[in-house]
Amino acid sequence: MIACLLIPGFELQAALYHRPRMRLRPAALSPLPGTEPLLGPVTAAAEAAGVRPGMRLGEALATCPSLVLVERDALLVETEWEQVIRRLEDNGFAVEPVEPGCLYFDTRGVERLYGGVSPALKRALAAVGSTWNAGAGAADRRFAALAAAAIARPGQAVVVDDQRTREFLAPLPLTLMPLEAGRREELDRLGVKKIGQLAGLPGSAVAERLGPDGRRAWSLARAEDGGNADWNDSAGWNDTKVSARPPATDLAERLEFPEAVANELTLRRALTALLDRILARPERGGREIRKVALSARLVGGGSWRRTVTLREPSGERGVLRAALGPKLAELPAPVLSLGLELVVLSESEGRQLALIHPEGEELETRLRDGLRQVRARAGAGAVATVVEVAPWSRIPEQRALLVPRD
Amino acid sequence: MVADPGAARTARSARLNEPRTALVEENFDGSPCRVNRQPVAAIREEWRVLDRWWTEEPVSRRYFEVVLESGQNVVVFRDAEQGCWFSQRGA
Repeated sequence: MIACLLIPGFELQAALYHRPRMRLRPAALSPLPGTEPLLGPVTAAAEAAGVRPGMRLGEALATCPSLVLVERDALLVETEWEQVIRRLEDNGFAVEPVEPGCLYFDTRGVERLYGGVSPALKRALAAVGSTWNAGAGAADRRFAALAAAAIARPGQAVVVDDQRTREFLAPLPLTLMPLEAGRREELDRLGVKKIGQLAGLPGSAVAERLGPDGRRAWSLARAEDGGNADWNDSAGWNDTKVSARPPATDLAERLEFPEAVANELTLRRALTALLDRILARPERGGREIRKVALSARLVGGGSWRRTVTLREPSGERGVLRAALGPKLAELPAPVLSLGLELVVLSESEGRQLALIHPEGEELETRLRDGLRQVRARAGAGAVATVVEVAPWSRIPEQRALLVPRD
Repeated sequence: MVADPGAARTARSARLNEPRTALVEENFDGSPCRVNRQPVAAIREEWRVLDRWWTEEPVSRRYFEVVLESGQNVVVFRDAEQGCWFSQRGA
């Protein structure tokens, strides 16, 4: 069976982890700067006062003037989430984290260890701890497991019988479906409010009215594969399979500054020192780095984190510095400490080098292939050429044009 | 070269080094003292561009190449026609 463990409002819970008294007060996760002013998850006290997640900030403050806005702390969220995953892995669960607060695991490997699905889920909940208000669900499909975990009370495990998945899903609200808000509203206007009502509609009519997303939701509601056993959704996961993450590398270095630093030159030097230290760690065992995370503790209490996935794994200091250096310019405030973490390492040591470097026609072909890939990924017009139109002009923007190369 | 994917959807030609609006605080002599909330450490160069005065869209700009306290080099100009500040690359 597939199990899902859900911690509702994880980002808010993580932000309040070291301020437990605040959990009892009306509090909400503040919107990200530069985005629409919509609230994130809210505490139970805030909900009791009429504040709902996704509410406009102004409306929420008018509804509950004592509402406390809690800043998002990306670093704390990552750290606490990693702790939760590690605790589960220490108890034998091979987990697939989806996002902070939601993960899946296959119970087949641990059923015999703990004596069944329910005891395994109980063990998982105990491993996570009661402070996080986690709920667990298990079913023969990911979506059904997610729905079961979503309706489970904190600390409760809901197991859905293999043969009764569709009956279990039928009375649940449509808000559990992975659908755009607009599509959900459209269905609501049509009187479709429950998953069972959606599952009862003809598939072709749903596909015609709501497009591929609607058809996918319809298949999920019917607990079907949509006629294809290897069917994957847009996020790339299969509804009947769990891909456990590779073992964590646990390679991290941190540099504390005696006082807050905003100077990019100093930060770049600190990054070089961190790279030297982390690349020299014997645990790396010569393996190259595929994914690396740069984090910072900001002055005033916030935190910042950026993850970089390298196109080709590398263990060279210069390559890593070139990939991470520009990220330092995105720091929103002076930093008190800078951290570097090797998130994913390559499986093998060394790299197969080319004996003869491509040139001439072969190089052209490779370049064309590369450009085709970029176009396929970013759309028509993504590849452009700089064309000089008036290089003599005294007005810089008159000198050249960026012309799409299709 | 690869352009911004957001701009790519329109698949139209675009000018390179278009000016971008900048938040600039001025000294009494009109030179910048803060650019995008960062203090200016030094002014490296200053020049004027007066062009297209014979058209209905004349260009009158006072350019400054400045070094910010963070060590970053920035070129900003005040557009006399529009009365506001811009930053620009490739100037």
